[in-house]
Amino acid sequence: MSTRPPNDSIVTPGATGTPSSNISSETPGATGTPSSNDSIVTPGATGKAPSSSVRDRAFSSTLQLLALCPLLAVSDTVVKALAFSVLVLAIFPLATLLLNTIRRWLDDAIVLPASLLVTAGLVTAAELFMRAWFHDLGASFGVFLPLLAVNIVVIDQIQTPAADRGMALIRSLRIALGIALTLMALGFARELVGRGSLLSGAGALLGHWADRLEVKVFSVDMGFLLAMLPPGAFISLGLLIAARNWTAARHSTKS
Amino acid sequence: MATPADKRNIVMPTAALVVIAVVLTVGLVIFANVTRDRIAHNQQAWIKQHLDALVPPESYDNDPLTDTTEVTAPDLLGAAPVVAYRLRKDGLPVAVAIRSVAPDGYRGPLELLVAIAPGGQLIGVQVIRHNETPGLGDAFENRDAGWLDRFRGLSLTQPPQQRWTVRRDGGDFDAFTGATITPRAIVKAVRRTLEFYQGNEDRLYQDGKPR
Repeated sequence: MSTRPPNDSIVTPGATGTPSSNISSETPGATGTPSSNDSIVTPGATGKAPSSSVRDRAFSSTLQLLALCPLLAVSDTVVKALAFSVLVLAIFPLATLLLNTIRRWLDDAIVLPASLLVTAGLVTAAELFMRAWFHDLGASFGVFLPLLAVNIVVIDQIQTPAADRGMALIRSLRIALGIALTLMALGFARELVGRGSLLSGAGALLGHWADRLEVKVFSVDMGFLLAMLPPGAFISLGLLIAARNWTAARHSTKS
Repeated sequence: MATPADKRNIVMPTAALVVIAVVLTVGLVIFANVTRDRIAHNQQAWIKQHLDALVPPESYDNDPLTDTTEVTAPDLLGAAPVVAYRLRKDGLPVAVAIRSVAPDGYRGPLELLVAIAPGGQLIGVQVIRHNETPGLGDAFENRDAGWLDRFRGLSLTQPPQQRWTVRRDGGDFDAFTGATITPRAIVKAVRRTLEFYQGNEDRLYQDGKPR
């Protein structure tokens, strides 16, 4: 993530519409209504020193961005991104519920190992599920499905504990939706640019009839290779964040 | 110096962790049992699919997926045991498909399925699992889709053994545009599989009673 300064604002599309306290942030220089809840001030851009809570939030959005990184590897086609999104949407809220319960019952000292155990168990089950019902697709996820356990624990750890279980569930759904939309957007862009197709390999997800769903948008010999390779994921994500910041800046100057 | 309270502070969390671990383990064991047959079936179907692409199913009458043998040849096939599927018709050998590994791919090993007819002639080669760079090293899957067909009918004498490498190394095989390491690894692995076959043909068909 060397391409991004540590406390720039991060985009997680779930947060684009409704500002949520933990993942949205304001573009530096935006002069909208800086409620202390959702603005992150770049140190140096303002006169006064950032308060520690602002720094904490900036730190937590950076961490969330980092937690997203391993997932970028599964976003090279729409179908892979879609399947992984479904898994994230299923596992993340479930894990949050379990971790919330754990936090309630257990000693602080063992919350972290217990969280790791629980999420590792969940992703192992998900991996077995994929291998049993979506063999080829599951194989294409490689190590990134097990890695999801780490992401969940990281995101869970950096959050301020939710007031109650319902809040925690809603928040985790929102984050999972954000991750899912990010993955879908990246998958769409990377497959289109990199292969000139959409929905290639849909049969692996929906059965053989779905192979016809593949849309060949334009025919290329090699495609734009960079988009398919890991750097393409980071570049696409960077563009996505830039677009989000740009619209946010436009909105705030209009009002 | 441990007071009873200290002891409780250690014992209770430990017990909680153990309980969580046990519950998860039991759950996963049950789920693994539920999915085991399906996963095994998927894996067999996956091999069968590649086998069918190499040898038409009507040319043999046994079940190669159960008629297998494991061979180990550290110098030619790598340290791990390699599975060989035997294809027979009326009990006579039709082909052996060896699941060999090309260890020196650009991004990790490539798993191959190398089908060899009695006498040591290649029937064909399939790459069944790989991690090569999309668009470059995986050209055998799309851009150069016919590249693997080139192996059909070759043997250790045709071309001669020292020409079993890519053109850049003075051999007979074309590389892909922009990727030499992957074809080099595949050609080398196929050659070594053939060399192994040459010295072990009888053993490959006879080891382990066909079921």
